[in-house]
Amino acid sequence: MDTWRFISYRTLGGFENMALDEALFRMTHNRGKRPTLRLFGWECPTLTIGHFQDPKREVNREFCESHGISVVRRPTGGKAVYHSTDLTYSISACQGPPFSADILTTYEVISKCLVRGLEKVGIKAGVVEEGRRNLRAGVQGGSCFATPFRNELLVRGAKICGSAQLRSHGRFLQHGSILMDFDPVITARITVGPGGDMVQWVRLLSESVTSVNREVPMALDAEALAPFICEGFEEALGIRLESDEPTPREEAEKNRLLNEKYRNPRWNDEGRL
Amino acid sequence: MSAYPDDLLYSRDHTWARVDDTVITVGITDFAQENLGDIISIELYPVDSHVKQGELFGVVESAKTTMELISPVSGYIVSVNEDLFDDVGALECDAYDTGWMIAVEINDLGELDDLLDADAYEEYIEQVEGRR
Repeated sequence: MDTWRFISYRTLGGFENMALDEALFRMTHNRGKRPTLRLFGWECPTLTIGHFQDPKREVNREFCESHGISVVRRPTGGKAVYHSTDLTYSISACQGPPFSADILTTYEVISKCLVRGLEKVGIKAGVVEEGRRNLRAGVQGGSCFATPFRNELLVRGAKICGSAQLRSHGRFLQHGSILMDFDPVITARITVGPGGDMVQWVRLLSESVTSVNREVPMALDAEALAPFICEGFEEALGIRLESDEPTPREEAEKNRLLNEKYRNPRWNDEGRL
Repeated sequence: MSAYPDDLLYSRDHTWARVDDTVITVGITDFAQENLGDIISIELYPVDSHVKQGELFGVVESAKTTMELISPVSGYIVSVNEDLFDDVGALECDAYDTGWMIAVEINDLGELDDLLDADAYEEYIEQVEGRR
């Protein structure tokens, strides 16, 4: 039976979470190509924006500053995600079974694991078969949750998990956020574009997004959901997760990235160093 | 006959290189862009930047993915295809011609020995796909 490395649930600040994930991704080749799954939460409310997003156009920075929401640019693509109570995962792996060079297939493999995990708490999620692939036509607002893409997860037609990837040198990092709770108003306040219709944006998000605690009768938090998601990966892929910690080299790389990149306003504001 | 143009060289990071004396024109292969899906935007290092073989020269974004662009050679960027900033469509319909990305004045022609010809790249792709 194949084993994956598992870094167990903990909460970190937004900058630290992104620095650690990028460090795990950059050093994937040093771990004998064994994939790493990390489950984590957020010490304080954080907005992560996609690698290519322009926060001046797509994020209400004043609202974030006045409400103590830190803003950090992810290494991965996609749109903005407001993190508070959600369970976030990252997978760092090389291409090769069960993953391929094909991006949609990779999303599909991971989504099936998440479907299995959510089933364990009574949530029947499905994988979007024909979601939107083309962003060139433009999507209103900057929230990841506004639009389901192919192979992402829906529950009763509403999105429950948003995901995005970074690829380089035959390896990938996939981030995903499983919503435990969802507040369409705060998401709309943060991600409505200049001149955007706030009322319409709240309505769209309310209709198109759900959360774990909207779907289950007993309140769950991210840490309580984490073991079920682990079981979902193990069962769907026939693997075993082995608990581990970041190595000293990964910690050193995380600290370098934290100081040089993720705490650097130039990266977070402009997407460059 | 290979599915990839045989007048180009290829890297394992799915970039192609067209050699014209010491100037190397660089782009990404059909394999890379097809796996990415619809490409939305691109960032490239500016003219006069120094790039190294195996290291970053830019980033492309598709609907849900960011892909780092890895240079097949080392040297200074002497030209950048700025048309792609307005319309990335050429990457999908004309990857080996108008979809070029940067031109690099190469430091060491010996680096070309690390690249693959069309047949070897096609074999490499078959290996990559075979791992699925």
